[in-house]
Amino acid sequence: MIAGRRSSFRRNRLYVAGLSPAALLLALFFVGPALWALFSSFTNSALVGIDAANPRFVGFDNYVRLFHDPDFAQVILNSVVFVIGSAVIGQFVLGLALALLLDHAERRRFRARSFVYFAVLLAWVNPTIIAGFLWVAMFDFYSGSLNVALGHLGLGPVDWFGQAPMLSVIIVNTWRGTAFVMLIFLGALQTIPSDIYEAARVDGASAFRRFWDHTLPMLRPIAALTLLSVTMATFGTFILIQALTNGGPALQTEVIALYAFHQAFEAYAIGYGSTIAVVMLSLNLAFAIVFLRWSRARA
Amino acid sequence: MNELQLLNQTLSRRRFLQLSAAAALVAACGPASGGSPSSGGAISGTVNVTYPDQAGFKPKYVQQAAAAVHQQFSGVNVNIDLQKIDDDSFYTKLLLRLSSGDVPDVFHVAGTSIGALADAGYIEPLDSYIGAWSDWSQYPDAVKSGVTYQGKVYAIPYGLDMRWLYYRKDDLQKAGLPADWTPANVQGILDAAAAVKAATPNILPYALYAGPAGSSGTADHAFVPLLWAYGGELQDSSGKWIGDSPATRKVMAYYAKAYGSGLSPKTIITATQPWVAMRQKLGNGQLALLFEGGWVYGGWDSANKAGTEQNVGYVLHPTETGGPSFTVGGPGTCWYIAAKSKNKPAAWEFIKAMNSAQIVGSLNAEDPHPVARADAANVPAFASSKYLVDSTAALKSARFTAPTADYQKVILAIQTATARVASGALGADAASQRYTDDLKQQVGADKVTTQ
Repeated sequence: MIAGRRSSFRRNRLYVAGLSPAALLLALFFVGPALWALFSSFTNSALVGIDAANPRFVGFDNYVRLFHDPDFAQVILNSVVFVIGSAVIGQFVLGLALALLLDHAERRRFRARSFVYFAVLLAWVNPTIIAGFLWVAMFDFYSGSLNVALGHLGLGPVDWFGQAPMLSVIIVNTWRGTAFVMLIFLGALQTIPSDIYEAARVDGASAFRRFWDHTLPMLRPIAALTLLSVTMATFGTFILIQALTNGGPALQTEVIALYAFHQAFEAYAIGYGSTIAVVMLSLNLAFAIVFLRWSRARA
Repeated sequence: MNELQLLNQTLSRRRFLQLSAAAALVAACGPASGGSPSSGGAISGTVNVTYPDQAGFKPKYVQQAAAAVHQQFSGVNVNIDLQKIDDDSFYTKLLLRLSSGDVPDVFHVAGTSIGALADAGYIEPLDSYIGAWSDWSQYPDAVKSGVTYQGKVYAIPYGLDMRWLYYRKDDLQKAGLPADWTPANVQGILDAAAAVKAATPNILPYALYAGPAGSSGTADHAFVPLLWAYGGELQDSSGKWIGDSPATRKVMAYYAKAYGSGLSPKTIITATQPWVAMRQKLGNGQLALLFEGGWVYGGWDSANKAGTEQNVGYVLHPTETGGPSFTVGGPGTCWYIAAKSKNKPAAWEFIKAMNSAQIVGSLNAEDPHPVARADAANVPAFASSKYLVDSTAALKSARFTAPTADYQKVILAIQTATARVASGALGADAASQRYTDDLKQQVGADKVTTQ
């Protein structure tokens, strides 16, 4: 037995050695900060004021405060609307549609394919904060290019972020994240052997039936993973919204990650901000577990 | 906070209020200073100075001060870190540095942060330094108490904050109002704004700051003067922060009128740094009414001196009943020494050089504030400006917010509450009631009361 275990270790040694740098980095930059946030959430740690000089354990005080916070329900609701709007409906559905179109275009050898491909990709390769300022430069009420253009046409300026703030940030986040989903699905589509379709076509299946019976089932495993990935990433995002509306007007676009940031770095309440981050992390984790179980059961 | 500390704060605030009138008079006619060159001694090493500046007035004076220190003490090198970012971002960056222990020796932030910074143990009391600095006698008592927290002096101010209700004479005249307009009461501001809106639809009538986008201006340039105008107070006599009250409801109703009838643009709560656009628009006549910092005049004055003198009028903030008008005062942006600085004597030498009568007078003439030290008012560039003389005189009518550690948190509650009513999410009375909850969230339920 022992000899067997040892030889299995010897066999796996290479894998362990290969994995350990990644594991170390993940522990350092993901697990470490998460544990630190958990620790901070039980303290009154602050960046300034009397609590900064005397940080101490406060038990569950921050959690009690959070569940009595009259704004927290709205923040959660905003997050759900933002995730469903921009991650599920926006990035996921649009990304899948774009991938199908581009795959179709490639099979037909359409020339515009690479133009579309790079145009979508361009939105994704920009750093988030630059993408945010790009849209601010367009949407800004006083000096944004859209309102300046409207002015030249003799039309009045539009308060884009004031009229429909949540829709605005959903559109921008969809624009930004669609490329990722598109790339994944494009890769997956190209692994589907084309003889399946030819056989279906010979059997007289319509385009919709070919998609429903063949494409979709073959995409399901990758679709589950992609949906999980974009949902979790969107739930934790805040830089884009910060650049666009900073959560306003009147908390209408304040999502949970932004709320954690504002409490930690505007109210300087690190302990309370960490508490919000821990709750966010727990919600994300719970979602991931439920979702993975569900998608495995279906597969 | 124990009762003794509260008592101290209340006393120092009361004293601040009582002596504010004296400040203006002393500042206007104070004697010239002889100055006091320090003796040499063993002062040497590097001094790291960090400060924010977007307007561009301060850098040359900071360099002058650094050169003066180096000339006096050849072993001292001043390392200047100019951050061209807004004050809020600078403050957050600074706090991260201070909490990590990687501290600059000297920094420059709002005097209203004294309580929070001192409580955190980030700043050095300056009493032992000012005891040996004869120039300190040039600072009026009201100014001194403005930078005193729990009996210790923590910062050196260069120019005091005050605010004006600015109006465009040309815009008001088009609306049938006189060029020397003075509102009889608070309602008079909204009436003038409505007249401008009716006469010239393409001109913004009035900018009333609200929400987090307005930064501290939402409190100091809008909510707080309105609260005082309606006879309200931020804190009661025991130091508790007052949430819902008759005055708070009137302030919220004023907000509802200003935003509900389109007198103030909703973009104030959606644009980033809306004050940049609002200041610019008042300067070029596209905005008619704006309650803003006295220093804002400097931007208009340097861009177009003749046009500004001709078209920009300024008056004190009116009250509800037409009682004495007033302005909101404050200690302005101050110079601090970090408690963890490794070179405090040299840091103090820099602060002294930066606050010489000559630099204080010249800097405030460009970046217009009433001078913090009385003798600086004699610097010709300062003394010859009608605007600065008026601003200094207005300090006689100034009211000050208390130098408490919690005020910055209260500003966040004010931002949240005003955004609710300005955006139309809540009506005036409901927003006033929610303001109580907003305050409780920020400072704790035990420090909040209603009236």
